[in-house]
Amino acid sequence: MKNTVYTLLAAAAILGSCVPMDIAPKSQGSSASWYTTETELKMAVNEFYILGYWNYLESSERWTDNNTYRNINYNTPILDGTVTGETWDCYHIWEQCYKLISRTNSLLDNISRAENAGMNQEKVDRFKAEACFARACKYGDLIFLFGDVPYIDHYQTIEEAEQNGRVDKATILQKVYDDFDFAAQHLPASYAGSEAVHFTKGAAYAMKARYALYMGDWQTAAAAAAECMKLGYTLENDYSTIFLQGTKMISEKIFVIPRSISASVVLDEWYVKNSLPRNAGGYAAYTPSWDLLAAYLCTDGLPIDESPLFDSQNPFANRDPRCTKTIVEFGTAHMGYIFDPSPNATKTTKLADLTQVSNQDSRAVNQYASFNGLLLKKGIDESWLENFPKNEKDYVLMRYADVLLMYAEAKIELGEIDASVLNAINTVRARAYGVKVGDTAYYPAVTGTDQATLRKAVRIERRMELAYEQLRYADLIRWRLAAKVLNLSNYINLDPAACKSEVVDKGYWFWGMTPSIDEDGVADFSALFAAGLCQKGAQRVFPDRQYLMPIPTHDIELSGGNLKNNEGY
Amino acid sequence: MKTVRFYLKRLALAAVMLMAASVAVAQNKLSGTVVDENGDPLPGAAVLVKGTTDGTVTGVDGAFTLNVPKGATITVSFIGYLDQDIVPGNRSVLAIALEPDNKLLDEVVVIGYGTVKRKDLTGSVAAVRGEDLEVKRTTALSSALQGALSGVMVTRDNSAPGSGAGSIRVRGVTTIGTSDPLIIVDGVQVSSLDYVNTADVESISVLKDAAAASIYGSKAAAGVILVTTKRGSTSDMSINYTGEFGMEIPTAEPDMVGLTRYLEMYNELLYNDNPTAGFFQQYTADQVKNWVKYNQTDPDHYPITDWRALMMNDYAPRQTHQVSVSGGNQSVRTKVSLSYDDVSALYDGRRFQRYMLRTNNDFTIIKDKLNATLDINVRRGKNRTTNYDPFADMRKTPAIYAATWHDGRIAEGKSGANPYGLLLTSGTNTSWSTQIGGKGSIEFKPIKDLSIQGIVSPFINYTKRKTFRLATYYTVMDDPEVFGGWLEGGGTVYSANNLSEQRNDNYNVTTQVLVNYHHKFAEKHDLSAMAGFENYVAKSENLSASREFYELTQYPYLNVGPEDYQFNSGDGSEYTSNSFFGRVMYDFAGKYLLQANVRHDGSSRFAKGYRWGTFPSVSAGWVVSEESFMHSTKSWLSFLKLRASWGMLGNERIGSNYYPYLALMTFNDALFYKGTDVSSEKTAAQRGLAVEDISWETTTSLDLGFDATFLANRLKVNFDWYSKKTSDMLLDIEIPYMMGYTKPKTNAGDMSTKGWDLELGWNDRIGDFTYSVSANLSDFVSIIDNVNGADIISGSTIQREGEFYNAYYGYLVDKENPIYQTQEQVDNSARLNNTVTVGDVHYQDISGPDGVPDGVISSEYDRVVLGNRLPRYQYGGNIRMGWKGFDASIVFQGIGKKLAYMSTYMVQPLRDNYGNIPAILDDNYWSAFNTDEQNRTARYPRLSKTSISNNYAFSDFWMFEGGYFRLKNVTLGYTLPEKLTSVVGIKKLRVYASASDLFSISQFPKGWDPEMGSTSYPITTSLLLGASIKF
Repeated sequence: MKNTVYTLLAAAAILGSCVPMDIAPKSQGSSASWYTTETELKMAVNEFYILGYWNYLESSERWTDNNTYRNINYNTPILDGTVTGETWDCYHIWEQCYKLISRTNSLLDNISRAENAGMNQEKVDRFKAEACFARACKYGDLIFLFGDVPYIDHYQTIEEAEQNGRVDKATILQKVYDDFDFAAQHLPASYAGSEAVHFTKGAAYAMKARYALYMGDWQTAAAAAAECMKLGYTLENDYSTIFLQGTKMISEKIFVIPRSISASVVLDEWYVKNSLPRNAGGYAAYTPSWDLLAAYLCTDGLPIDESPLFDSQNPFANRDPRCTKTIVEFGTAHMGYIFDPSPNATKTTKLADLTQVSNQDSRAVNQYASFNGLLLKKGIDESWLENFPKNEKDYVLMRYADVLLMYAEAKIELGEIDASVLNAINTVRARAYGVKVGDTAYYPAVTGTDQATLRKAVRIERRMELAYEQLRYADLIRWRLAAKVLNLSNYINLDPAACKSEVVDKGYWFWGMTPSIDEDGVADFSALFAAGLCQKGAQRVFPDRQYLMPIPTHDIELSGGNLKNNEGY
Repeated sequence: MKTVRFYLKRLALAAVMLMAASVAVAQNKLSGTVVDENGDPLPGAAVLVKGTTDGTVTGVDGAFTLNVPKGATITVSFIGYLDQDIVPGNRSVLAIALEPDNKLLDEVVVIGYGTVKRKDLTGSVAAVRGEDLEVKRTTALSSALQGALSGVMVTRDNSAPGSGAGSIRVRGVTTIGTSDPLIIVDGVQVSSLDYVNTADVESISVLKDAAAASIYGSKAAAGVILVTTKRGSTSDMSINYTGEFGMEIPTAEPDMVGLTRYLEMYNELLYNDNPTAGFFQQYTADQVKNWVKYNQTDPDHYPITDWRALMMNDYAPRQTHQVSVSGGNQSVRTKVSLSYDDVSALYDGRRFQRYMLRTNNDFTIIKDKLNATLDINVRRGKNRTTNYDPFADMRKTPAIYAATWHDGRIAEGKSGANPYGLLLTSGTNTSWSTQIGGKGSIEFKPIKDLSIQGIVSPFINYTKRKTFRLATYYTVMDDPEVFGGWLEGGGTVYSANNLSEQRNDNYNVTTQVLVNYHHKFAEKHDLSAMAGFENYVAKSENLSASREFYELTQYPYLNVGPEDYQFNSGDGSEYTSNSFFGRVMYDFAGKYLLQANVRHDGSSRFAKGYRWGTFPSVSAGWVVSEESFMHSTKSWLSFLKLRASWGMLGNERIGSNYYPYLALMTFNDALFYKGTDVSSEKTAAQRGLAVEDISWETTTSLDLGFDATFLANRLKVNFDWYSKKTSDMLLDIEIPYMMGYTKPKTNAGDMSTKGWDLELGWNDRIGDFTYSVSANLSDFVSIIDNVNGADIISGSTIQREGEFYNAYYGYLVDKENPIYQTQEQVDNSARLNNTVTVGDVHYQDISGPDGVPDGVISSEYDRVVLGNRLPRYQYGGNIRMGWKGFDASIVFQGIGKKLAYMSTYMVQPLRDNYGNIPAILDDNYWSAFNTDEQNRTARYPRLSKTSISNNYAFSDFWMFEGGYFRLKNVTLGYTLPEKLTSVVGIKKLRVYASASDLFSISQFPKGWDPEMGSTSYPITTSLLLGASIKF
């Protein structure tokens, strides 16, 4: 015992001298010396590719008339018209954009360390170009969604940041162009198979075209798209495979952030669950809207209310092929079952063993089956069940078909309508039909030179081609269509018993009559509703103020009056 | 069994003999007087024959007469005086003078790095004895503190098995950052009060003012809680066993509307939002009318599920066993205790088990020269829960969804959200928490008056957690063979079997060297001084690993999982502090007391130039009652001391951020294509801002108070008024999102807290009935003085200059028509958006971008400070009674006044578009189907989804008075007469019944306990039966 006591006393005496307090962080690096070596720069640049900086608009399809969520508006104030500066969807976009901007500024501010350390200029410019590309994309989104915003391109102190006012979006747009131009100049067109694929020259042109188009600068948009088109991108042969989980890098994908289950970067699980049919264990809640189904042209190139080919009792027949590749056609196989939402179809076929099982995708069986009878097909295949609900579908930000349509749209708006414009649209359309652009006998090619007609054609083409690719919201905003279509009702089927007696048993299924389509390609179901053949789901509400999102309350509060909100908030 | 019967026989025999004896013994008549130390008679003093209940009470003249058996001892007692035992022998007249009992004043109070007699205290220290905490029978020590001490606020929001208090605040808050008090157990810093077994607690002192706490310098700004554990004494060895069994029953659970009303109200909500679509948008008229009827014949399509009844048990059993052994001699004294707790939950699959061992040993190696102590404590807790916490969904899921199909299979619930199925089959989450603490000290006294003490105390804290999440699914209604879907809850789809394991390994070592000097000279001068050094080193490492898509579910080990889906992560941190401190105490004739402390602290958390802080304090006391001019008041004023203190305290605790002064590159991962493969590469970015000159925050505190006892120490009053001012507050300042960084910690802002604490105690005896009443009441107000010019707004909370700390922030409702009654009102007022209409909550247009109302309700310009979030007038108290072998105690606690808020969980119908509808809404919400009169008195807005962002925005519409009174505990005990139990060798046998959290009174809506959290485990009433046996 005595020994223990003396040991303790001795230990106390030794430890009694001051223990050093300079402790280095155990699992982090210091920013004071970063950006000096190639490895450090590479890691800093890698940061720009984190999915969270890019996918904030992934749910935006559900803010549009392409989607129906049960009999209510999907959980966002956007469709209820009740957006404020405290709405998550808005300030989240703002936050994510500025986060990436600060990462890029940090690299651009400090890369001189590497230059001073003797790194060759080509490498330095490559790193800079990646930062410029990312920064330009984020400012592009900001000025499109929020209008004038603070422009920050260097590190600011807190005091400086709180002084920022809003900068004219035209001024910012010019800076966005400058960044894209620098990026396009210094980024490679492609990467070798052993190299990690970073931003490319083509992506810089394409994204530049997108923001120019969004801001109505047709000249720049057309020029940038044309530059991109020179780079040799091609369209995938089969439209339906582009979006599948198993389809990896293909030539059509210009800018993509991959996902990986083994790296725990996956598609939002709710997206997976809500998109899948109930027979396959999903919720069938993010469903394509009737508006979207009505929007596809018939194979004669005419809208459904003009085409003799359209049959409202068989709405999938004779439609543009992208219709059934986007929306599940009734009576076809989907996710291992024959899909049939009819209230009479209480049983359906399970394809694995060809047995008849209760049909969870009929509302007569399951009250939460698709309320409007439609299901999303685009991008969905049985691989979605393998690691359900984990899914490693790519997040595609830009694909070549979009570039072609942007080129066409910009040229049409410029009034520079030539063969290249028709060729761009028709290349996209022909691929949908699985034929060559020249085989006009096999698909309804777009013809004519009238600006208004072609404007309509390219807009409907965008809707058919790009549905569920997070582009519809921006299109509605920039075409000033939001205040029209986002103030319409969602239409859904009658409740199962009524649907059976009033629609199915009377031979009206699926639609009792053909909805009319207006000059904007927007369907009108009011006659159907008046006839008692459908019911209204949610009422969408879009006040004009929502053409611009509100500046986050948080930043206005800290700005000491330097930031004022957009009109109406 | 045999032995029991044997003892019973002996017990019966003993009882018979006892009765016989009391009849047979001869009696002597005894008379006498009882006087006090001044020779004045003591009326009402008890004179008892020792070991019996026979006795009498003295009259006004202090005289008594009593029949006493020959050879018996009599005990004379009077409150405030020491008991006196007298053997009358042959005397028949006695003159008895009682000596005053100064125990109350001589009571030793533990202060930082030492002890002091209560009468010599100059700082503000509240103390409670272990037995007063033990009586509450809580599993966690922190919960037992609730209401026990003035100025100590303990909050909780659940009574889950093994859970302790949610937070402890000493004298309110001192900073926007961490206001958790420093916890010191037997002189050494620990991270949680709950590592100590309540039964092992000798006393708890709370150092409230700067004078008392500044010896802990940089860590003490939020107050210090000192726990002293029981030690052995030089007495015969004794062993004590306590066992108790009991049950936990929820105090409250919110009710929901009945099934038919749910259907009707759901339809009404959809109709309100979209009238053109008709009234029966979700449920048909037939469903609404006949659901209950159809349920009889077709429960699968028309389920009526009572989720609560299905998932919850009526009560949760619990038990506790404790054994302690203590005793010792001149050279070794020891106390060992071992306890076991086993608490089940209100639902199956959850259980908390805990072992605690503590051994405290004192050694005298050379008498008066060399002493040593060696203490070891071990705690092992096991907390097993279901992966799925049921309460949120149990309260939310409406009855219209099926938990099981008619044949008992797990049903679909709401599209896979089946809380019952998940609770049953989603796997378990088990965590083991092990703490091993040791403390060794030796004390050497080289010369008289001087002692040198060295202390080393290592503490090892190891936790591991194993989460085995199991895939769980339902089959479709009409076919047991057909997979319906995976169950989901809380945002998780239980679609695969995943195992994840976590390990946290941390340890810390405290080393102290203390030098004490105490000298009394010239009779009246009493000087003591202490100087010390302390080093604290802490290291922590985390490790976690998981694999996914297990095929087998019976082997919860990582090796068994597929190699394709394995993940792991780990990190670590380190911290060191060094401190020098000293104290001088001077006492002149027990009248004038002076104390000064200083501490100099250095912390690794700050950069070199900003690392050290110095925290001084001074305090003085004047024992007025010792003055000669106070002699005349001695008869009623037993003691009076005035106190004053001033000092500075520090705070450096900013959570787990150990390098706030360094701009760090955070590592992450990003994915890239390489050819057509996807590969992950490391990324690096500075994500947070760093402030290089970050340093201590300082709280300066002033305290004025007095301690007084009256009427022979029967009445005790302590009062303190204090004012605290915190400057250079460490906090996360809000920075614009556009900076792109997470908010930094920095020294920004000042706040002040003013308050007072009052403690009252009364104890007395009437014959052989003893009783005591004590109560405490305290109040404080914390005001933000400065937050670097800019408000800090975080959701519904604001820090604004001149306003309450953490004040409520939101819209102001229109006073005249809080709910829009007419379209005209709607048209003539500013609104948050155009969807807002009749039946919605109506706000005031306060301002606009130009400083005047702008006709629009906006979050930037129309929100105002709505009031103080913190409670006012907290109180607590207890009443204890004893009569012969019986004892009883009543403990209560409450909050006088508090602004409470009705959360959306309490009042929002159809949360997430399907949630249940709280019953309190029915008949009390604005509805187009009501009369105008009904609507004018409606408490709640119309049913609407599109107006959620308006109606449930944070505003004073949802505020109400949230004060409450709670009966914390009632205990009844009976100690069998020693004469009876000693026959079988038992020194003491006590049986008791105890009830905790029996009831509360508040204005909370029906079904909501004033303390319970919205989605958490309920607050429970505990009913216990126990016995304690001492040999």
